[in-house]
Amino acid sequence: MRRLSILSLVLIAAAVAIWYAPLHAAVRPPKLEYQRLVLPNGMVVILHQDKSTPIVHVELWYHVGSKNEKPGRTGFAHFFEHLMFKGSRNVEPEQHTSIIASVGGQANAYTNEDTTVFWQTIPAQYLPLVLWMEADRMASLRIDQNTFVTEREVVKEERRMRIENPPFGLLNELITFNAFDVHPYKHPVIGSMTDLNAATIDDVRDFYKTYYVPENATMMIVGDFDTDTVTNLVNQYFARVPKAAKPVPRDIAVEPLHTKEKRVTLEQPWPLPAIVVTYHVPYNGHPDSYPMFVMSKTLSDGQTSRIYRKLVYDTGLALTAFGSSSFLEQPGIFSAVALVNPGKSPDDVEKALIAEFDKLKTAGITERELQRAKNQFARDYVVSRLTIKEKASQLGHAEVIQKDMASADGEFDTFLKVSLDDVKRVAQKYFVPEGRMVMRIMPRGGVVEKVEK
Amino acid sequence: MTTKTVLAIVLFGGLSGLVAATPTLTEKMRGEKPGRTRSEAQSRVEWPRENPPRPLPARPVTFPPYELRKLANGMQVVLVSQNEQPVVSVRMLIRAGAAHDPKGKHGLAMLTATLLDQGAGTKTAEQIAETIDFIGGVLGTGAGSDLSYVTSIVMKDSYDIALDLLADVVQRPTFAPEEIERQRQQALSALKVAAEDPESVADRVIDRLIYGFHPYGMPGAGTAESLASLTRADFLDFHKKYFVPNNALIAVVGDIGAAEAMAGLEKHFGAWKAAEVPALAVTEPPDATRRVIVIDKKDAVQTEIRVGHIAIPRKHNDFEAVDQAVKILGGEGANRLQQVLRSQKQLTYGASADLDTFKWAGAVIAETDTQTANTAEALRVVVDEFTRLQRERVSDGELEGAQDYMVGHFPLTIEVPDAIATQVLNQLFYDLPVDDLPKYRERVLRVTPDEIQRVARWFIRPSQLSIVLVGDADKFVNDLKGVGFGTYERIPIDRVDLLSVDLMKRAGATRP
Repeated sequence: MRRLSILSLVLIAAAVAIWYAPLHAAVRPPKLEYQRLVLPNGMVVILHQDKSTPIVHVELWYHVGSKNEKPGRTGFAHFFEHLMFKGSRNVEPEQHTSIIASVGGQANAYTNEDTTVFWQTIPAQYLPLVLWMEADRMASLRIDQNTFVTEREVVKEERRMRIENPPFGLLNELITFNAFDVHPYKHPVIGSMTDLNAATIDDVRDFYKTYYVPENATMMIVGDFDTDTVTNLVNQYFARVPKAAKPVPRDIAVEPLHTKEKRVTLEQPWPLPAIVVTYHVPYNGHPDSYPMFVMSKTLSDGQTSRIYRKLVYDTGLALTAFGSSSFLEQPGIFSAVALVNPGKSPDDVEKALIAEFDKLKTAGITERELQRAKNQFARDYVVSRLTIKEKASQLGHAEVIQKDMASADGEFDTFLKVSLDDVKRVAQKYFVPEGRMVMRIMPRGGVVEKVEK
Repeated sequence: MTTKTVLAIVLFGGLSGLVAATPTLTEKMRGEKPGRTRSEAQSRVEWPRENPPRPLPARPVTFPPYELRKLANGMQVVLVSQNEQPVVSVRMLIRAGAAHDPKGKHGLAMLTATLLDQGAGTKTAEQIAETIDFIGGVLGTGAGSDLSYVTSIVMKDSYDIALDLLADVVQRPTFAPEEIERQRQQALSALKVAAEDPESVADRVIDRLIYGFHPYGMPGAGTAESLASLTRADFLDFHKKYFVPNNALIAVVGDIGAAEAMAGLEKHFGAWKAAEVPALAVTEPPDATRRVIVIDKKDAVQTEIRVGHIAIPRKHNDFEAVDQAVKILGGEGANRLQQVLRSQKQLTYGASADLDTFKWAGAVIAETDTQTANTAEALRVVVDEFTRLQRERVSDGELEGAQDYMVGHFPLTIEVPDAIATQVLNQLFYDLPVDDLPKYRERVLRVTPDEIQRVARWFIRPSQLSIVLVGDADKFVNDLKGVGFGTYERIPIDRVDLLSVDLMKRAGATRP
């Protein structure tokens, strides 16, 4: 314990003054005004006007991600994302990106566990062009054996670059692979080499017909536009895309309740040992997810967060230590990771990590920590609405993942209402030994151990 | 970061400039479209053949307003006001970075920056962290080659708290012995991790090859020996020499008016004393010389490839033409390397070339990664593209494409106030006229294919390239001869030593 000096008493007085500064209206971000349209074919369109700069961002979310992949086809959703740049009836292969670049815009796409997102930011006058191109590839993608085979090599290079070559690149997939038993969140979004090699052109056709359909699509248009013009354009280009022949499948394997702590020890050719502790957490938007989010702030946001302070700053046990929670559409995991400093004991690191979770169950968090988490949340909330791209992402998340547009703004108040009791109750419910996975990854020379199905 | 002034200058000549891009685009698409489909389109409906729609009328784009001020002690100030979100960011640059590390004291600038917020004024490291975290703010420090920086982002009602912290951190860092030890250990551990990361090793070695023993070639993150040698006196001395207001620039950006922003700066930085800053004697970097280094990492599944040579500093009459030449080679909106390496040959996920320009020198560096077996082929393609750029005149169409992107992209670069401030700070930092900012379009379009050819002839040197390959050497070195690189130096990854002449760690190695 720190000895109190006159000086620190003065500082505490100053800190108390800050403590009582409430989160007032000044820091509240302006409401995200939006319009929601539903086309006759089921496609949802969200409009948000922002005329501060003459640019516009168009973001098309297909509600399909790695969790929708069939067994033996991991990585397929992401691979398909690449194929969406390989031309459609009116757009030549690779031209989507170069056409956008030729008007000064940027275009790209990403895939995660739950969604596949295609985005472009462009000077505002080119909005018709972008909508026309997105509709073109939703309705008339070219699917070609040669393209399919060659693009697969690019995806394999992407896997080597992101996952296999860098130190600790495999960390995330080792964590999820061991933390889940059956839920497809077990598998990495990029997939395994074996599964990528097994994919066929029929898989491509089937995936396109099943998931790249208007009723599975949500489009955000954010920026400088005239509402009537954009509504007409959307109707002109997208209303003519036909509905799918069959409903979009939503059957995903359910993770059984874990009843016993899981312990895993592995070796990897990494410079330092890594210790991982995970617990299962609720889905994004579940009432328990908000207190859980507060705990993730207390545990791991900033230099005063408990994990950093205990493992890195106070004891020097770890080179780095952090927690992160995957708040996904379906229940995910909270994981804490520490890289053990040379000369320190992995046992001590494991004990210290678990102790931080246990402390939340017995003592909860302090009033001040709660207020800090809320202030950090407010900051994140504000700084994630600075650009039209970020705003589109917030709107897409509310519509597709939360399935509640009101949450785009409403979550702000939900967070401010979280209480100390909520935090303790949720900690006691989820941070239980039977829901825990402890993994040790020790350094070793030699060959990388592949974790593949 | 950015600045603001009451400049409202029309950047594009009204609509004409932007609309002009349209016929080009439509022509491009028309030329390639009809009846050349070799693959089957998966239409669920009779999908029409169409030309792309015409653009809507364009709004003129202007460089947003900013203000330039100066405190009496010489600190330069950039202000950009925008109230879309209730947030304020403050960025300070100090004109001293890793290039200012004294001989043998590599890592001093970096570790000095790291220590700034680990105790300052009357606050301990813990109290500083507690203050900024509690208000939901962010405080960051760091050092680059030419500069050190401190940044903070806070809600608008915490501007004074942010400045109070920044002022302590920049003017009165404690450099407490226990914090020095703590951060030294962290830096040493980070070095250990970086030494096994192929990407990081490739980046450090290519800089060392290109810049030699010029400051830009030295390891800014330090070495195990140099970090161990740093004393508290070193930190105090570095700080005292360079952290003075006449050597600093600050930008205040976001939901705050000029009067409030300036009042805060006067209050917290007005009493900071100016002092003479010692000039840095920097020698010229060496001439480009052909040299190939193979770094052997047994378990690598890919090879990291870097190819480059010396180029120009940021302040240079040919900057615009050289920049566009490098963009054609490997930049956004163009990128021959990506077209050949990824789109045509599927050898990589990504390839690019950058023009790194610093205060005293600069370099062109191409980078990519490929699976081990394809190392030699990917290297050959990269080198061929250097040769092509030097020998062949760029076509009007290709340059136009690159310029269309740069010009059209402009409104995307002024969306957020931080991005505006960054552009202004860059001009100030490199002693370039801020009046150039609104003339961006003219500056870009002034460059012709002849200009590109002229600069490419003197600055691209395909026969004097520095090359670094980090990967599983046994599996690709035999292929190197076939692509013209039979002579190379091979170094195991755990024996890389940036400070030795042959880059190899060994007992009793001579060091300059």
